[in-house]
Amino acid sequence: MTSQQKVLLLVGSPKASQSSSDSLGTYLMEQMASKGLETEKIRIHPSVRSEEGLEKLFAACDSADILILTFPLYVDCLPAPVIKAFECVARHWKAAGERKKKMFLAICNSGFPESSQNETALAICRQFARETGLDWAGGLALGGGGAIGGQPLKSRGRMVKRVMTALDMTATALADGQPAPQKAVDLMAKGMFPSWLYTFMGDLGMKMSARKYGAQKRLRDKPYREGNAKAS
Amino acid sequence: MKAMVMDGFESGGGTAQAVYKAVEDELKSCGCEIESFRLRDLTIADCAGDFLCWMKTPGTCVVDDDNRKIARTMVNSDLHVVLTHITFGCYSSTLKKALDHLVQNINPFFRKFQGEVHHEPRYDRYPRYLAVGVLPQSDKESERIFQTLVHRNSINMYTPAYKAGVLYEHQSPDEMRQRIRGYLGEVGVRQ
Repeated sequence: MTSQQKVLLLVGSPKASQSSSDSLGTYLMEQMASKGLETEKIRIHPSVRSEEGLEKLFAACDSADILILTFPLYVDCLPAPVIKAFECVARHWKAAGERKKKMFLAICNSGFPESSQNETALAICRQFARETGLDWAGGLALGGGGAIGGQPLKSRGRMVKRVMTALDMTATALADGQPAPQKAVDLMAKGMFPSWLYTFMGDLGMKMSARKYGAQKRLRDKPYREGNAKAS
Repeated sequence: MKAMVMDGFESGGGTAQAVYKAVEDELKSCGCEIESFRLRDLTIADCAGDFLCWMKTPGTCVVDDDNRKIARTMVNSDLHVVLTHITFGCYSSTLKKALDHLVQNINPFFRKFQGEVHHEPRYDRYPRYLAVGVLPQSDKESERIFQTLVHRNSINMYTPAYKAGVLYEHQSPDEMRQRIRGYLGEVGVRQ
């Protein structure tokens, strides 16, 4: 008799609410749960700030059969607390010695329209899997992730149809012990909008947000330029 | 020439100390004025991802801690050097925590640059970038990822020149120093 498979969702966004990383991960976990898998979710940022949080993170990672990480692209890679989690979990597993086999899948969403800008971040996740002996189940890259706005995917309508299909396919594969299929990777990479529309809406949204703070005329300020560093 | 050094090692002994000393000595011998940040001793909050440094206080993080001094020093330097252990092809979390805040030094608006969409530069010039990563021993994949990461950062940070150098813990201080001298030469800093 096989015991119920456990899936752990690790959310790597600093946002406690309205996180697009959380939206993507939560939808995927719902699909996994519907296939009879046991699911758990942990937010990385608060976890790595205390010993207690780290212990809970270690215990959850130890007991999981499938680890799924969702995170936003930060400066071409992962947010610092996610790297810290990698460092701590790797040290924990090295000290603990033998452990059961696990699969690891990563989902990276970025504020750039091109999903290809997420490739380095996903390569780092794959390297983490390689160095810690996890079975790499693939990386899903989504461009223009900000358009999800941290809302549940099911509330975002046709815009996220391809994204949901990619996650549906991924859930089916993972539940069967298989990595994410290439078709799911390709579908996710297609994104939600044409690039020109995403950047137009992004620039407009930034101006509107700045207006709320009375900062719309200062968006190109240069507060740190001292004017005394010479070009060499 | 003004050089800024971000020491992103998690602790200060052994290799970290040797690498830092070698970089400092080489920069001094090139006549650089050095400002160093030992990141493990500084107070830097995690980037909250709220973009308030773009839309509320443009160009300045709303959190008033050491991240602001680092960001200010960066845009007023001619050379930006970062030192780190390479973790899974990436920077250490200690270094990355500070680098995450450098988004305040670019503008929110999108533009096409080198065939991709990137954010506009906020300043008219940025420093050259040298990232020195340390590994216990050679790991081709880890090194490839690190070099790609530094290349990607150089695009987003509009650096006029960049180099990703990799050192190994078993190398002697003299060997490290020679390599660092070469890296500095590659970003245009020479004795």
